[in-house]
Amino acid sequence: MTVKVEEKMILLSMENIQKKFFGKYANKNVHLQVEKGKILALLGENGAGKTTLMNILYGLYQPDGGKIFWHGEEVKFESPKDAIERKIGMVHQHFMLVPTLNVSQNITLGLKETGYPLTDRKAVNRKIKSLSDQYGLIVDPEAMVSDLSVGEQQRVEIMKLLYRDAELLILDEPTAVLTRQETIGLFEVLKRLSQDGRSVILITHKIPEVMEIADMVTVMRDAESIITVPITEVDEASLAEYMIGRPLNIVEIPPRIEKRNQGFILRNLNLEEKSQTKSATVSFEIEAGEILGIAGVEGNGQKELAESILGIRHNVAEEMQLFGKDLRNHSVSDRRDAGIAYISDDRHRDGLLLDAGFMDNMLLKFHKDRRYQNNGILNKKKLNDFINRQIKAYKIKVSSPSLPVRFLSGGNQQKLILSRELCDEPKLIVACQPTRGLDIGATEFVREQLLMHRSKGACILLISADLEEILSLSDRIAVLYKGRIMGLLNNSKNIDITRIGLMMAGRNFNLNEVEIHEK
Amino acid sequence: MKNKAGDLISYLMIVLAGIILMILLIGITGNSISDALSGFIRGIAGSSYSVAEVFVKATPLILTGLGVSVAFKSGFVNIGAEGQLYMGAVTITALALAFPNLPKGILMPLCLLGGFLAGGVWSLIPGILKAKMGISEVINTIMFNYIALGIVGILLQTVLKDPNNYFPVSATLTDSAGLSILIPGTRLHSGILIAVICAILIDILIFKTSLGFRLRAVGMNPRACLCSGISVGKHIIISSMISGGLAGIAGVCEIAGLHHKLIEGISPGYGYLAIIVALLGGNNPFGVILAAIGIATLQVGSLSMQRAANVPSAISSIILGAIVLMLMARKTIFKKLIDKKEEQG
Amino acid sequence: MSQILLTIATFLAACIRMATPLTLAGLGEAFSERTGVMNLGVEAIMLCGAFSSFIVTFWTGNVYWGMLCGMLAGMIISGIHAILCIKCKANQTIVGLALNFFALGLTSFLFLIVFGQSTILPQCKTVPNFEFPVLGKIPLLGKAFFTHNIFVYLMYLLVFIFLFIYKKTEWGVIFTAVGEHPSAADTAGINVFRIRYLACMVNGLLGGLAGSYFTLAQLGFFMEDITAGKGYIALVTVILGRRNPLGILCSALLIGLADAVQFQLQTMNIPIPSQAFSILPYIAAVFVLLFSAGKSSDPSALGIPYERDNR
Repeated sequence: MTVKVEEKMILLSMENIQKKFFGKYANKNVHLQVEKGKILALLGENGAGKTTLMNILYGLYQPDGGKIFWHGEEVKFESPKDAIERKIGMVHQHFMLVPTLNVSQNITLGLKETGYPLTDRKAVNRKIKSLSDQYGLIVDPEAMVSDLSVGEQQRVEIMKLLYRDAELLILDEPTAVLTRQETIGLFEVLKRLSQDGRSVILITHKIPEVMEIADMVTVMRDAESIITVPITEVDEASLAEYMIGRPLNIVEIPPRIEKRNQGFILRNLNLEEKSQTKSATVSFEIEAGEILGIAGVEGNGQKELAESILGIRHNVAEEMQLFGKDLRNHSVSDRRDAGIAYISDDRHRDGLLLDAGFMDNMLLKFHKDRRYQNNGILNKKKLNDFINRQIKAYKIKVSSPSLPVRFLSGGNQQKLILSRELCDEPKLIVACQPTRGLDIGATEFVREQLLMHRSKGACILLISADLEEILSLSDRIAVLYKGRIMGLLNNSKNIDITRIGLMMAGRNFNLNEVEIHEK
Repeated sequence: MKNKAGDLISYLMIVLAGIILMILLIGITGNSISDALSGFIRGIAGSSYSVAEVFVKATPLILTGLGVSVAFKSGFVNIGAEGQLYMGAVTITALALAFPNLPKGILMPLCLLGGFLAGGVWSLIPGILKAKMGISEVINTIMFNYIALGIVGILLQTVLKDPNNYFPVSATLTDSAGLSILIPGTRLHSGILIAVICAILIDILIFKTSLGFRLRAVGMNPRACLCSGISVGKHIIISSMISGGLAGIAGVCEIAGLHHKLIEGISPGYGYLAIIVALLGGNNPFGVILAAIGIATLQVGSLSMQRAANVPSAISSIILGAIVLMLMARKTIFKKLIDKKEEQG
Repeated sequence: MSQILLTIATFLAACIRMATPLTLAGLGEAFSERTGVMNLGVEAIMLCGAFSSFIVTFWTGNVYWGMLCGMLAGMIISGIHAILCIKCKANQTIVGLALNFFALGLTSFLFLIVFGQSTILPQCKTVPNFEFPVLGKIPLLGKAFFTHNIFVYLMYLLVFIFLFIYKKTEWGVIFTAVGEHPSAADTAGINVFRIRYLACMVNGLLGGLAGSYFTLAQLGFFMEDITAGKGYIALVTVILGRRNPLGILCSALLIGLADAVQFQLQTMNIPIPSQAFSILPYIAAVFVLLFSAGKSSDPSALGIPYERDNR
């Protein structure tokens, strides 16, 4: 019996993939299919499960359930080596390039080319050149990787995959680090690859780009695959809705006490260290007693923004004032003395001394405080009293304050940080992802704290990739994308979620701005 | 929670292994084990002289060990205690020769201060290079050791040389630059008191003051310090200076209490031993005292064992080195014993 | 005139001889560091190499067995370092220093056990000097560079071999990758751990060979602490020579030069203290470290134990 040859050839099929980390689903009943010669966009917010899924495909993780079919055959990838052997290649967000070697050496790293161990570099370079011409992927084999720009390095990473004759290329947020010009160049290459019969999976959160380059799109949300559809059957708005439109649990915030005080003023802060382009700057004001939420997918300048305000980074701003006090050129220590509190999104790295107990962690803020020392010698009794008060007030569950805080749960660690940062009536609170990783009780607690300080007249800058968090706390919402504000909205029950989603995905609604697709 | 019992057992087993190794080595020499061990015991406890000897040897170890542990707390690996000790020794020699007529009450404190500063400056240079330019202090401090030794040698052949002596030694220092003997009939000098006082002061500084907190915080998590407004570079520099200063004081005490003149070779590697003292003492002042006494006991006992039963005193280095190596491998060897379970963070 | 040239040739020959053990040990350490493992225990390796080569040569009367055992002993010490640092992920600085103590104690101990205390040090056979075929016949240069013992010729060979491997072979690329960006190497399918173990073994082998030089080529006897800090000087040659085989050879030669000048001055009774010369290499090393700050040529993963990051 002859089998009818189907028109579309399914190269990869991932069915019913399940993966849990620490009891929480990262992938739940996920389905993914890629056809030969097609570009599939894997669209979703942070934490939707995209990278986990691709890491499973690439052999870095093992799925708890589900099957993977390659060329119709069931396969199991136990390590990247298996995936590579099957001609699957991945370009990660953090490049795997050795800076002190040149492009050619990086491309053949791990391979035994002709003449091994005396590799015939000329032959290698010829092959690189022919691949380069074939796909328009311009690389200079003799260039030192450390001299290359990020865009050029990415081309080398892609060349690595082509050199190994990859049939399926997975690119994880490739345009995150590229300029518009470079993105256009990348898309050219991808088109040629698909024309040549190779397939591409593009992990992204940027809807305009999905519309530009993809053939098919799969949207993931909350660890599940929501929909898979050809790009011709869908538009930006519906994609945005699929991406974030879920029944959001919006808790209403109490009305503001309109203070109209000066508060915090930021003008033209340039978030890119090396860029001189004036267009990539951030400006906003926060009134006293107001919470400004900055939404946006991670990696669009949030860290740079928070750290610039704290003084950890020295990015240039035209104006940065807190209740009339100019903060620019002041040290972190001065800015904190001026009343800035910082809740970092990486509490282990930035906010805690993990191997120390409560006292040392509190001292991070109070080491200079006259109330707790006599001539430089710490008054441990007063400190312990203070600590015990804070433990009660913030309901921190701890068996003994002298145990290393490493052993506290995430929620209790965050409470410790809050009890330290938020006492003494801060004037500006910079909170980054403050409820990330916390259970409902702790999340509720953080929320209450922020609202309380809001009613006391503090300016609060809430930076988060979690839209629910933003919506449930902010008076106004701005969206950060590639180092600039895409738009500013007042928060209300009827706020246009789709609009926010589009802004997060690259569409500019900022009336002062030019279209992002600049020349 | 960490399995504390498992931890303790692993440490005990390492100590046991050390003792077994010692007995094995004695056995290899072919000499009587009982003779050797009794010689060892006599050497450390047989007379007031023996007991005193342990503390004489422990004094420089306590001081240099304190110095190294202070630096470690800030993340600064000070392998230069040897050179810093010599710089302290040079200082007291120079001061004592320059001002032989000053009364002891003025000269000694002056020498201690001078030794602290000299050792401190010697450590400060690698400290500044690390804080300001990110240059690793590991190799740097070793280099400064050799440079210091060279400087001592040069000075002893030129400026500080005793004109009446053929060999490169300095003139004998006056009594005003000497530390008195605490127990007559022994070599125990008041350097031990200075060492203990320093340990107490350092304990207060590191664990009870706000500066001490900052010095420790910088070693625990420099990034969190940056975010909290604590200057990492400044505190590395302060830490390195205190560290070197303590080693400098050790040098002063060795000259003032023991040798009474500057010669090459007053330190049989105290600077390197200091690292082991700090390690074994858990970077904690009182742990350092105990570790220093422990190592001094091992060394003094081994010397006595050599006299009594012809067992080469080098055995102490072998045991010491072996114990440290076993400690380094402890977590892997005793993995099942020290099963660490961390609460979900 | 020819007298002056002859003196210069003899002088150069002396420099080469002094530079040999430093270069051998330096080449080994540079290889180890290139792959990311710093070994402060070079002193320990050299001491054990010296001791074993001496004992074996003393007992067998055969220098070549001695050399072999010297290399073997070096590899054992280096192996301990490797296991502790690579498998147990211990602090490389402390392990190196502890090994130095251990080795110093062990060699002194064993030497005293075997030979007892005596004022006359037992002697062993030494390697003969011989003229290198053809090259040794070149006037003056032949005397300076090609009339030496096997250690020196091995040194020349090894400098050349390492240069070749680093610059011209895929192996050199792999070593660089492992020391510079181990996760990139790992992702490319290279076994980072195996490469590092290999480098440590070679370091031990060459360090042991270097140690044997003192007993079998230079002195003909062994004594306590025979290496007296030369292990640390080998580390200095690695820094001064920027981990480049030729650079290491040149630094070692310069250090040998300083040594030779110092000797010369002493025989001429000029009252410059010998230390004025012996500290020069260390001061130079500090300056080199100073000037290479910022544009660090250290392999980025130097001193950091490699852990597969399982996100």
